[in-house]
Amino acid sequence: MENKAKILVVDDEVPVCRSISSALEPEGYLVDQALSGEEALQKEGENRYDVIIADLMMPGMSGMDLLRAVKEKRSDIVVIMITGYPSMKTAVQAVKLGAFDYLPKPFAPSELRNLISRALERKRIYEEKAPVEEKAMAKTPLPEGLYCIPGHSWAKLEDDGNVRVGIHELYLRTVKNFSSIKFPDENEKVSQGETCLWVVDTAGNLHRLWSPVSGRVISINEEVEEDYSRVMEDPYGSGWLLLIKPLRFEEELENLLPFDKE
Amino acid sequence: MQRFSLRTKLLLSFSTVIVVSALLSLIIGTYLVKTIIAQAQGKVKLDLNSAREVYQEESGNIKDVVRLTAVRFFIKDAVLKGHGEKLKGELQNIRDQEHLDVLTLVNRQSRVILRAHNPEVFGDQLNDDVVSHVLSRQKVVVSTQIVSKDDLERESRDLLERSRIDLIPTLQERPRTETEETSGMMIKAAAPVLDYDGELIGVLLGGRLLNRNYEIVDNVKDIVYRGEKYKGKDIGTVTIFQGDLRISTNVLRLDGDRAIGTRVSQEVYDQVIGKGVPWIGRAFVVNDWYITAYEPIKNISGNIIGMLYVGILEAPYVDLKNRAVLTFLGVAILSVTLLAIVALFTTENITRPLKELLFATQKVAQGNLSHRLRVKSGDEIGQLVGSFNQMTGELQKATEKYQVLTRTLEDKVAEKTEELRKAQDQLIQTAKLTSLGKLAAGIAHEVNNPLTSILINSHLVAEKLSEDDHFQENMRLIIDETTRCGAIVKGLLDFSRQTPPEKNISDLNEVVENTLQMLKSQILVHEIQVKKDLDRELPEIMIDVNQIKQVFTNMILNALDATPKGGWLTVRSQMASDKQFVEITFQDTGHGIEKGNIGKIFDPFYTTKGMAGSGLGLSVSYGIMRQHGGTIDVQSEPGKGTTMTIQLPVTEYQEDEAV
Repeated sequence: MENKAKILVVDDEVPVCRSISSALEPEGYLVDQALSGEEALQKEGENRYDVIIADLMMPGMSGMDLLRAVKEKRSDIVVIMITGYPSMKTAVQAVKLGAFDYLPKPFAPSELRNLISRALERKRIYEEKAPVEEKAMAKTPLPEGLYCIPGHSWAKLEDDGNVRVGIHELYLRTVKNFSSIKFPDENEKVSQGETCLWVVDTAGNLHRLWSPVSGRVISINEEVEEDYSRVMEDPYGSGWLLLIKPLRFEEELENLLPFDKE
Repeated sequence: MQRFSLRTKLLLSFSTVIVVSALLSLIIGTYLVKTIIAQAQGKVKLDLNSAREVYQEESGNIKDVVRLTAVRFFIKDAVLKGHGEKLKGELQNIRDQEHLDVLTLVNRQSRVILRAHNPEVFGDQLNDDVVSHVLSRQKVVVSTQIVSKDDLERESRDLLERSRIDLIPTLQERPRTETEETSGMMIKAAAPVLDYDGELIGVLLGGRLLNRNYEIVDNVKDIVYRGEKYKGKDIGTVTIFQGDLRISTNVLRLDGDRAIGTRVSQEVYDQVIGKGVPWIGRAFVVNDWYITAYEPIKNISGNIIGMLYVGILEAPYVDLKNRAVLTFLGVAILSVTLLAIVALFTTENITRPLKELLFATQKVAQGNLSHRLRVKSGDEIGQLVGSFNQMTGELQKATEKYQVLTRTLEDKVAEKTEELRKAQDQLIQTAKLTSLGKLAAGIAHEVNNPLTSILINSHLVAEKLSEDDHFQENMRLIIDETTRCGAIVKGLLDFSRQTPPEKNISDLNEVVENTLQMLKSQILVHEIQVKKDLDRELPEIMIDVNQIKQVFTNMILNALDATPKGGWLTVRSQMASDKQFVEITFQDTGHGIEKGNIGKIFDPFYTTKGMAGSGLGLSVSYGIMRQHGGTIDVQSEPGKGTTMTIQLPVTEYQEDEAV
């Protein structure tokens, strides 16, 4: 099983580590465990893991410190943060620092597996395709004024004060066999860093998409609802998904990255 | 003076003025009377001069008669050639014509040639001072002389009779032992008789007896007093005294006869006869007081032999004086009375308002500020009363204002105290929530790890079991309950994070209606009557509709749970009394909340619903209200029901309306 992905699970609680391991091992992944950031860093030095799943809150070296250290050594490593204290600000900041994604506790094995699958897809994209090609894939010129949760979603402040929200092209590419989108209801409240909609693949797996802003959903792009291919064709333009009335956009902008600096 | 009232002082002052003026008028009166008396005395003095004039004129008359007769030839011839019938006839003729009592011719040796009054007696030696005087000096002379009884007798018996006067006892008289006066007093004039060569050959002596001769005195009276009378009495009286005896007078006795024979008072006698000094002053004459003037009458030798008297009845002057005094006294009494009345009136006028003022000030001092005085006059007292009324009025206003202020202040203090109490309650509640939030966050973190393990492993087990395994149901329960645990923890975290509201301008009544509509089925199940009392004039306010709906939902659901079937829930919307807040109240007829539990109901996890409630509803509602700048207030009485009052601020919505 040469192709077997190597995954390191980092959590200061043994049961959590074991549970995650037992959820992933049947899927054919090679799962290692570490009970602290320091141990994880050491193990990562010995084995080049494909994915690291790390708890944010740990005594000693925190998940965030681990992320920084690991990313410094290997930019291509995929790090997923899990947290029992889902401070969205911390989680989004982690993504901004280079984490692939995060998962709030408690979660079902399916959620984790979906995420791992997307993470590995991302890894594959890193390895198999050059960044140049990546850029070329952008079918539309880079739009102005877009702010992102890197690899997830984008937000753009419109003239009327509302924010247009869309999906990041990279995210779509990590979801194998994108099928449809499960939209929220109009008027529903969303928060930055929390699920604003679900991306559904052909196998029926649900993938969370984190909202880049907090606010209330004013409207949904009905054109996309009718034809999901629009999202693939023009993710930063006509393929927008939600129109949100933001609550504190200025403040939340700090947690986002301008599109071109990603 | 302290112990006297103002009234007494004023009266005393007035009385002083009155008494002084009365005294002054009396003094002036007395002075005037004295002046009158002095003038009367002056007049008497002048009258005396007139009387003397008359007396001297009488003397002059006699002197002239004697002088002119003495130069006649028949006189010379009679002396030279002896008397004849012719002389007798001539002299008697002259004597009768001139009313002389004595007309006697003597020779150089003082031998009587002829007594015209008594021709039978002649040749006797005539010892007469006047005659002697002429003989020695050869000049005509006139003088008043005392004539002795013998001399009178020689002249004539009737002269003796005339001159003889019985002394009549008189008041204040000078004591005398005699009972009659036999000598007389006579004005005598003598002129030398010269022969043709101018040699003195004899002397002609003429005289008029003054006793009982009223010619002079009545003459004077007629000339000077013109017969004026006062109460039947002659005002003026004139008297000729021989010594101290009235021999010729028009002073009348009480019986109306002339007061011949009465005598002068010792006092006057001593001064006039004794000392030769005229008397001017009041004197008691016979039986009346007179203002009198006496002067001595001297004989040829310079001896005082008698007096000439003039007197004005004092009675008119006394009466005048008395009248003047009475008048002044009357005027004084009248003015005193008038002044006293005026003083009393004025004093009363001054003191009565002052007394009222005093009474009023005492009233004011006792706190009765509504007492007012009636202004009765426009003077200073009136002004004082006016000022007093104004002052009390102002005082009353100020006091009322002060009382209002005090009341307002008390109200304000009570209000502020209530506000403070509420703020403190809120603060305590907030502090509680903050620490509970932190605790919840900590717990969430700790709980989430085991939940993660349970969730993952139960899923894994479920995956291993075949679809129809009878444990699938058990696993499903484990998974669902674990997921629920996760949701509870998330709720807790949401609560502790207190996500900020998304505010829009909204109609609160609409939110109430929507919430009630949404809970319609629950209300039906609980069989509760809902009464809506919504103020349609409420302004729209800035709220997060979803959050507020959540709050209303919590309120209504709590009310439904607390109220037995058939109960009432009243939902009311209105403006708060201060217009700063919109107020929604949920009033139920439920079982109420125990007093000791009211403080706990906003605490997280406090619930009375057992397993049915999360215990987060009210604390979440509380957090939402706090983030809206609003409040929740609870009033509850066990057994009667609970009233929850929500207040939301009416605030700047234009700002957000532009969005």
